[in-house]
Amino acid sequence: MNGAFRIRLAAAWIEIRENLGRSTLQALGIMLGVASVLGGFSISDSQRRRADELFAKLGGFDKLNVMSSEAVKDGKPSALQTANLGLRFLDAEEGEDQKGSVVEAVSVTRNARSRVRSATADQERMVNGIGRDYLDLDGYTIREGRAISNEDFQRANAVAVLGDEAAKTFFPEGNAVGKTMKVGDIPVTVIGVLEERVFRFRKGQNNIFRRRNRIIAVPATLVSRRMQGDAYQRLDRVTFRVPKMEAMADFAKDLDGMLRANHRGQQDFRLDDVAARIRRQRSQGDVYNMIFMLSGVLALFGGGLVNVNIQMAALKERVREVGVKMAIGAGGKEIFKEFMTEALLLTGLGGLGGLLLGVGFSATITGVLGVPLYMAPISFVSAFLMAAVFGLLFALYPAFKASRLSPMEALRYE
Amino acid sequence: MNVIEASQITKTYGSNGTAVHALRGVDLTVGRGEFVALIGPSGSGKSTLMAVLGCLDSPTSGRYMLDGEYVEKLSASRLARIRNEKIGFVFQSYNLLPKASILRNIELPMLYAGVSSKERRERGMELLEKVGIPDKAKALPNQLSGGQRQRVAIARALANRPALLLADEPTGALDSKTGAEVLELFGELNRQGNAVILVTHDPSIAARASRQVEIRDGLIAQPEARPHEPLAA
Repeated sequence: MNGAFRIRLAAAWIEIRENLGRSTLQALGIMLGVASVLGGFSISDSQRRRADELFAKLGGFDKLNVMSSEAVKDGKPSALQTANLGLRFLDAEEGEDQKGSVVEAVSVTRNARSRVRSATADQERMVNGIGRDYLDLDGYTIREGRAISNEDFQRANAVAVLGDEAAKTFFPEGNAVGKTMKVGDIPVTVIGVLEERVFRFRKGQNNIFRRRNRIIAVPATLVSRRMQGDAYQRLDRVTFRVPKMEAMADFAKDLDGMLRANHRGQQDFRLDDVAARIRRQRSQGDVYNMIFMLSGVLALFGGGLVNVNIQMAALKERVREVGVKMAIGAGGKEIFKEFMTEALLLTGLGGLGGLLLGVGFSATITGVLGVPLYMAPISFVSAFLMAAVFGLLFALYPAFKASRLSPMEALRYE
Repeated sequence: MNVIEASQITKTYGSNGTAVHALRGVDLTVGRGEFVALIGPSGSGKSTLMAVLGCLDSPTSGRYMLDGEYVEKLSASRLARIRNEKIGFVFQSYNLLPKASILRNIELPMLYAGVSSKERRERGMELLEKVGIPDKAKALPNQLSGGQRQRVAIARALANRPALLLADEPTGALDSKTGAEVLELFGELNRQGNAVILVTHDPSIAARASRQVEIRDGLIAQPEARPHEPLAA
């Protein structure tokens, strides 16, 4: 290394600067390609990041839901099916004991529609009977008072925790904690109020959590025993939190076997692996990434072809220069390197410009969509690399042509 | 040993039917330290001979030994190396790179030869002094007069201490006074031991050389005295 590359780079810079119009045109193709690739990536990354935030606010990905479902699809139920008791609290407990350690938390829920009354309101409402770690697993936090305890659950205490909207509706003067309301005919004491939950996927959209603020939560046992008179304590849903993602598949399989055994071989439940579901949804997002990438590649391809054209035209003006360099001892390899250095520099500058343009582009689009901008470092790297590959690939032909000029003819070229 | 020993050099352009025989069997020997003028009218094959002697083009047939090495069959990249190491070109139109500084122009052959940047700089400044324009290192070619540009071209030709200086109408674009100065510089370089071949159509310029070789119809016109050859051998 005797500074040859540095000198080639300096010469390339001069060449680019002296032919600003031509160079700009050449760089523009690269720039637009990079910008469209980066923009595409960033827009789908931003959407995805927003979806991740939503799932985090919903209590995380690491959950397995068990829902009760109809075993009888059509026709009359068999005796076996009639005798089956469905999803019960027992299932939740046995599921939790299954392989002991992998389950970090479990929640159960049993819902009922009921008339709910306070001094100021009287409405037909969904009442959520909850148990164990329900609030945590569904992403609720207590603002005032306390949550429903295991003791409340076991004893089916007549207590309630209200969502923000429910508290405001039934106790508009505030201080809901300690007050009493009627759920059906049961007088229930409010022991806690939940934090208001707000999530708008895009700015200006409706609050996705609007319904969650309407929650009226009581112990699930209160719903099943006292409101529905169900001695078997049947449930609508059981959720297990399994923080070890790799343990999830095994756990789900074992749970499925266990539940089937408990349910006399009936498939009257449905498993929903939240993480797997999200992965599936994400893979649909990958299609958009592919489309964005493809359109970026096409832009780069078009830009590349234009570059070849411009470069070939420019070569005509530089034949004599190539001839002189050859006369004083530059081999074809040296000429090739000089042309490629120019392409490298042009691609680099165009690529950097493209990254800037891409940031602006992404910021504008996500701004219009109302989604917070998120740009992954890998998007910058891959957009830039793609430009580099195309820039250099399309520079090969003109550089090769230049390197193969005959020195004699090049010197005489007018 | 001679710098140039060429025998039966032919150069044919085109194929059978439309072939142009630019050189038809040229024998030429140039000794070290000789100053040879290559003269002849246009179309005589003078330029072709220069191209072959300068390793810009390969002969169709014949043998050509340059500085002790047969070069007529070498590949393009080997020829580039030979030009770089053994030949210094000076052209009528200077052929400097317009966007590079004077010093950079002179350094270029050394760069291709792989000389270190420090040595390039030192030798570049040395050469500028030698051709009489030491204060122009940072200037661009278009800031210099024709005579100065030709001096730069000569400095560039000398950069790798070539065995042969090949000048193609070096004074063709200069006024007579500047031309004379440039010719004087060639004379001085020759006295310092450089072999010089000067291609020209002007007999008064050719007269400054120690020997004149005339090309006519692709052949050396008349065999003439070669005062240096036996002595140098």
